Amino acid sequence: MKVWIYIFFGIFFMLLAFASWKSYRRKRSAEEFMLAGKSIGPILGFLTFSAALFSAFTFMGMPDFFRNHGIGAWTFLAFSDGIMVFFILWFGYLLRKKSKEHNFQGVAGLMVSSYGTRWAGVAMFASAFIFLIPYVAIQIRGISIFLEAAFPGMLPSWVWALIMVVMMLVYAEIGGLKAIVYSDAIQGLILLMVIWLIGGTCIAAFGNVPDLFKAVEEVNAELLSTPGPHGLFSWQFLLGSMIAVVMIPVTQPQLTTRLVVVKDLASMKKMAYAVGIFAILVITPTIFIGMYGAVKYPGVPASEFLSQALLFDQAAPVAALAIVGLFAACLSTTNAQIFALGNELRSLLRGEEKRAMRITRISLFFFAGVVMVFSTLMSDELALLARVSFTGTAMMAPIVLMAVIRKNRPPREVILISFLAFITYLLSLAGFVPDHVGTLRLDLALYLYLVIAVLASVLIRKFFRKKEIAN
Amino acid sequence: MKRNKKYWILCAILVIVIMVLGYTPLMIPGGIYKPMIMGIPYSLWTSFLLTVALVVLTYIGSKVHPGSDEEEEEL
Repeated sequence: MKVWIYIFFGIFFMLLAFASWKSYRRKRSAEEFMLAGKSIGPILGFLTFSAALFSAFTFMGMPDFFRNHGIGAWTFLAFSDGIMVFFILWFGYLLRKKSKEHNFQGVAGLMVSSYGTRWAGVAMFASAFIFLIPYVAIQIRGISIFLEAAFPGMLPSWVWALIMVVMMLVYAEIGGLKAIVYSDAIQGLILLMVIWLIGGTCIAAFGNVPDLFKAVEEVNAELLSTPGPHGLFSWQFLLGSMIAVVMIPVTQPQLTTRLVVVKDLASMKKMAYAVGIFAILVITPTIFIGMYGAVKYPGVPASEFLSQALLFDQAAPVAALAIVGLFAACLSTTNAQIFALGNELRSLLRGEEKRAMRITRISLFFFAGVVMVFSTLMSDELALLARVSFTGTAMMAPIVLMAVIRKNRPPREVILISFLAFITYLLSLAGFVPDHVGTLRLDLALYLYLVIAVLASVLIRKFFRKKEIAN
Repeated sequence: MKRNKKYWILCAILVIVIMVLGYTPLMIPGGIYKPMIMGIPYSLWTSFLLTVALVVLTYIGSKVHPGSDEEEEEL
């Protein structure tokens, strides 16, 4: 297997070097470096969006989710993604319009100029920082454990994590967002290919799809329906997840930015349905891998199941490609997220461009360092942690949505309304606030509060404006 | 443009209907996995078909969305 690993890594690194060389410009502007000159075409656009969305979390988290909680995982992610891609058509159009009015540099910066207060940008940056860092860290930890299993005794997992973070920084520093977009495209294609190869092997182990599900029925029939054996996939959990997933392009800056950097609206529209097709294609094989794991490896820890199903039960070239694919997925996702955080910070900075870029570049190292530390402290629950990240940032969605929808300056109290929901959710994660309000899950209760409070704020303002005009 | 807007609204209504349907006991009945189609459990094949329908609606939506590049250029 090692020979195959070296061959595939060799090809992958050559592709990365080529992408860096193609993206590198000695005298490039900050916009070229941070936003790829806002000139990404539809194919690269959909591949970079898909790669930022479906990463190590899909490759490792989703099979484990299917294995432990059953077929409801499809509704959890794929069905929610179907709604999200339609939402992109509406939201992306309005976002692009607003971005041109305000010369988009980052979501935080757009919020500052839309609301006319720095607090809007600071709140967006804080939510992204708090919820993206652990999400990136868990991916790095996942892949470093995986590499440790592939090369036993060669290096400890923290050294693998360090190698990846250093590579990511060097790569981003050379090529900027354009290089990251290229690496996303490479990663997206590798991911799709390898996940189908592994999914196919998992089906073949049982003969065909009906026999695979028959075997699952014999082992644990509860996996074949909702809410699953542990009762996780209740309608409330699934509905809350859907809202969080649909809000991903609104509140996760690495994805919001990708809607803006696509060169025109027609490309963005093509990108939307292409991401939907990609979602179906990439999530479908994770069902088969998960069901395979439910029969062959029930009850074992996630890391053991993944290293068995993705590595040791596969033919040597497929296992080698899986390692390279996972490495690529992790590299491009962490790159995209850390780079997005840097871009958000830059959009908040004032003054000379050179100085802002210097601070941004230093901040990338700082964020990478924080991610490194966090990656040693994380748990194995990749899919659930991703959901927490999506839900946490979704609490800030009204800030962005109001800024994008409203032609005039949005009401500033929306910042406070959203921030209160964000803090409440954070406190619930820390155990200081109960996770249910009566029988309603806290995330759903908070979404309800956000809708009512924002609507009330708009209506009250309208009422007073009418009264003022009447007087 | 007016006709496009009508189709766009129709697409949006259909997406909302599918979305609501997706979280009712009709699509995710507790503890029930039959009838199966080609051995695939009930909630999985129904939600798979609904997901495909959503992507098809997104494709149609991208064709009839009333916003245009020209409108973007004006800004």
